[in-house]
Amino acid sequence: MLKVVNLKRQFKSGDTIVTAVDGVSMTVPDGQFVSIIGKSGSGKTSLLSLLGALDRPSSGKIIVDGQDITAINDVQLNDYRARTIGFVFQNYNLVPNLNAIENVMLPMEFIGLPKSDRLKRAKLLLEEVGLSDDQAKRKPGRLSGGQQQRVAIARALANKPKYILADEPTGNLDSETGRLIFRLLHDLSKKEKTTIITVTHDLEIAGKTDRSFKLVDGRITDK
Amino acid sequence: MLIARQTVQDKIQTTKASIGNTVTIQPAGFNSFSAANNSLTTSQLNVVSKLPHVTGLIETLTDRLTTIGTVSSPRNFIGQSNSTNTNQTSLKSPVKLSRRLNRGGNRLFVSGGSGFQLPPNFSLPIVIVGTNDPVQLNTANGNVATLVSGKFLNGNSDNNDAMVSQKMAQVNNLKLGSTFTAYSTQLTVVGIFASSSGGTNNVVVVSLPTEQRLSGQAGDVTLAVAKVDSIDNLSSTTAAIQKALGSSANVTSSTDAANLAIQPLNSVSKVALYSLIGAIVAASIIILMVMVMIVRERRKEIGVIKAIGSGNLRIAAQFMVEALTLTVSAAIIGIIIGAVASTPLTDMLVSNATTNQTSIGNRFGAGPVITRHFGGGVLGGLHRGISNIHAVVGFNLIGYGLAAAVVIALVGSALTAFIITKIRPSEVIRAE
Ligand SMILES: Nc1ncnc2c1ncn2[C@@H]1O[C@H](COP(=O)(O)OP(=O)(O)O)[C@@H](O)[C@H]1O
Ligand SMILES: [Mg+2]
Repeated sequence: MLKVVNLKRQFKSGDTIVTAVDGVSMTVPDGQFVSIIGKSGSGKTSLLSLLGALDRPSSGKIIVDGQDITAINDVQLNDYRARTIGFVFQNYNLVPNLNAIENVMLPMEFIGLPKSDRLKRAKLLLEEVGLSDDQAKRKPGRLSGGQQQRVAIARALANKPKYILADEPTGNLDSETGRLIFRLLHDLSKKEKTTIITVTHDLEIAGKTDRSFKLVDGRITDK
Repeated sequence: MLIARQTVQDKIQTTKASIGNTVTIQPAGFNSFSAANNSLTTSQLNVVSKLPHVTGLIETLTDRLTTIGTVSSPRNFIGQSNSTNTNQTSLKSPVKLSRRLNRGGNRLFVSGGSGFQLPPNFSLPIVIVGTNDPVQLNTANGNVATLVSGKFLNGNSDNNDAMVSQKMAQVNNLKLGSTFTAYSTQLTVVGIFASSSGGTNNVVVVSLPTEQRLSGQAGDVTLAVAKVDSIDNLSSTTAAIQKALGSSANVTSSTDAANLAIQPLNSVSKVALYSLIGAIVAASIIILMVMVMIVRERRKEIGVIKAIGSGNLRIAAQFMVEALTLTVSAAIIGIIIGAVASTPLTDMLVSNATTNQTSIGNRFGAGPVITRHFGGGVLGGLHRGISNIHAVVGFNLIGYGLAAAVVIALVGSALTAFIITKIRPSEVIRAE
């Protein structure tokens, strides 16, 4: 279970202080598929970054399975990012000089999995997200946006994380491909019992999730 | 530069090591145009040969002979009558007057607007050397002459035997047993030697007593080289010889000569060292800048890798491996290019630095011709050796090169590691 308590994140830019996340509290039960919606600049990415420990909050708590991740050290944070969280980005963010298989293998390296196991699992995952063997050997530059996002989802799943955080995963894709990617995430979450928190613009998509949170100026307005 | 420096350092070592244990003795204020006025004597030198640690003494008396029917100096031409000069020979010099001297309508030199015309019958004087040890001609001469036919003459017996250079024999049609005149006396050729440099082409060698008798300088010696039993006793023996001879003689040990010869090499070595330091500093700065640029360029990638769970250490280690690969391969390429390029480079540095060698040689010797023949022997030999430097790449050199590469890589890695820890994944993720 993921529980957020009065979470705040402020940015100083020059003299002004921007409060991107302004006292958010929310609870996401295990295995749920939830969406966060909101206008641009409402603080969605900031909130997701805090949940994924890519950033530290100014105040508040993030309790993941009983442990407050805002109070743990950097080494433990690395481990949290590697094992507990799978992150999917709007612009895919694959490592450009690694091919699809190598990209998927990368997070498994961080948890010390032997190479043969990494290779086996990477191939399996790429097959699961619907990449052909030929595409799996290509570098990101030679894959379409939809294919890259499939690789990114496979990479996020590599270490069997309990939570998947996705920041507008369909934002750079046409609506057709976006729906396919969304269905993929949805099916995987049901199959692996993964909790998914996704940020989206697409209200159609948001309507199909178990629960939807709306952010306005860094605050949750429950819907 | 590293290679150039090592090459020069090596040469300094071998030059030092190759110095013979010899002491050169010359009359004080000796010069070629007044040789007869100022000589050492055999009796003075007998004292030297009895000094402890002196194992041998080569004594020579050098004079100049004019070819009969020619003039050999402007002095003869302007004033003194050539007919009064008894220092004459039937031999013709194998050395042709250089073009440079002839340039400008046979003018030897010009002073106050009126120059001296070289007379049409001008010929270079021939050097006659009387030595008590013709076998040692080689060593005394910086290894320029070897016997090609006949025998070495006996340096201590007074007779009319002579040795001539191969060139001299050719020009004058001399064979073993042929005769020629010098000092109005008939001399017989008993040996012919080959000369590797032009310096000894113009030379006739006779025994010391013969030359002393022929030139009318009984007991006189113009140059002596003492051999010392060990290099350790060289400086003390040099001092002892100087003390025995007093102010009438210039006594120089081969170490002095070698030090003079090495002097320009030392400055080349210094130049090479400074250039080396400069090159390493420049290379380090460039490599560090490149590494920082690479990290910055891959800033986003680093942020992403952090976001999916990598620690700083792992990324820094990755960059360190890349930096090591980069610098070590650069060092290897550098060493290879350096090895190829450094011989001409070193030659250039060394030849620039040793152009003054000739004048140093002259200070020690007696004049252009004699300098090259005897007085300049030690220095001449060294000079030839010093100019002839080849780059050698030693294992320790490769070691230094690689060590420098590793140090640069480590410093670069520390710097990049610092930048890596500063990259926050959240910033990078937001930036498109
Ligand atoms: N590093 C930062 N420095 C200053 N302001 C920031 C920084 N990151 C985000 N912000 C501000 O925080 C607010 C929320 O941004 P963000 O979380 O990216 O919104 P969303 O993802 O909903 O579009 C915006 O007003 C943005 O300008
Ligand atoms: Mg956003």
